[in-house]
Amino acid sequence: MTDMDIRLTVNGRLQHAKAGVMRTLLTVLREDFGLTGTKDGCSSGDCGACVVVMNGQVVNSCMVLAAQADGSQVTTVEGLASNGELHPLQRAFGGTWAFQCGFCTPGMLVSCHALLSSNDNPSREEVLTAIAGNFCRCTGYQGVVNAVQQAAAELRSANAEAVLQHD
Amino acid sequence: MSAPDYRAPELLANALGIKREFGADARVVAGGTDLILRMRDKVLSPKVLIDLRRISLASISRHAGEMHLGAYVTLSQMLASAEVRVAFPALVEACRSFAGPPIRNRATLGGNIVNASPAADLVPPLIAYDASVVLASLSASRVLPLMDFFTGPGKTVMEPHEVLTEVRLPLPPPRTAASFTKLGQRRSMAIAIVNLSARLTLDRAGQMSEARIVLGSVAPTAMRARAAEAILTGNEPSDEQFEQAANMAVAEISPISDVRSGKDYRKRVTGVLVRRALMAARHKLAEVGRND
Repeated sequence: MTDMDIRLTVNGRLQHAKAGVMRTLLTVLREDFGLTGTKDGCSSGDCGACVVVMNGQVVNSCMVLAAQADGSQVTTVEGLASNGELHPLQRAFGGTWAFQCGFCTPGMLVSCHALLSSNDNPSREEVLTAIAGNFCRCTGYQGVVNAVQQAAAELRSANAEAVLQHD
Repeated sequence: MSAPDYRAPELLANALGIKREFGADARVVAGGTDLILRMRDKVLSPKVLIDLRRISLASISRHAGEMHLGAYVTLSQMLASAEVRVAFPALVEACRSFAGPPIRNRATLGGNIVNASPAADLVPPLIAYDASVVLASLSASRVLPLMDFFTGPGKTVMEPHEVLTEVRLPLPPPRTAASFTKLGQRRSMAIAIVNLSARLTLDRAGQMSEARIVLGSVAPTAMRARAAEAILTGNEPSDEQFEQAANMAVAEISPISDVRSGKDYRKRVTGVLVRRALMAARHKLAEVGRND
């Protein structure tokens, strides 16, 4: 069968790809669009290294066929920074040593970023629930919890300031 | 193996037409969290993939004493639905125990049923709630109790030209409570060693007019522990009753040993979990009573 034309909006940019049926969103992101931040860990939805946001929800991109994603809005870890500035969550990961080898970090960042978009003050338990599908095999999860809570606090005070200035 | 043909029809009738033409060679794909892996491992090699994403099968609605859930409803959708949470809390507990957020955002109600895994988390609570499934084909559709749907691991009564389109749940009678409990190797991302649901309905005198104990992962299909249920029916809920029912449930099963657990451990833990699930249901009944 001939390849299908896939259209995706990735990190705000419309992108095109050709894909056979069994090609996944993950391989298109990495191989066609060069977005290698998203990792291929287990290829079976167990580890979360491939997590991206698709149409507002975190998904394992290794288990979404590119054809199923056709027409979707996708955000990868590369989409978190803006104008060359790391997102506060990314800075907090660095500041709290929330990673060691870093392989799980892109998926962790995407899952935690999605959490912060719906919850500006997550508890430890809420962070652990949000990253239940993301495995870290070296440094553990406490640093991630610390990073998310630190970034949440920073974002809350930035929002409060923005509101004050607006008034 | 050649790659399958991919189709994403906009109408259910078109999907059913493809099913009519290709039968078992056409596989429905929804979230894909199971099917895509099995295709990659060459366990399944369908000629046609029918993606349901453009067909509206993802709604949750009330119809005269029943809730209808489309087969394409995701686990996350059920978790987020206040209506489902209030009417079918044990189903929502099963959703919460299932994998992690990225899988729950893709995996669907229909997928968890048609895969017919003996360890499917949603099946024990669905059976406890008397779920029926709607099987559609081009010529007709039929509704049958979920209890009669499974015939073995990965096997169901669904015909090759049929598609599961909807799950129907009768709203539970008053003074009813149900619970779900699961043991896996870890809290998230684990397939169950044992998963089960208990449901109790009390009559006005406070006796159990109905009891359901639905066990997963301990038999080729989910099963009701009917002798254990019979011990409870007609009696007042008590620790002694629950203990006896739990022991009877253990006597009713002959689980296998597999990579997740030995059969002796499975039996032992089934007894513990049945007792806990019954106690949880009783606890919820007490809460319901206070609200009345």
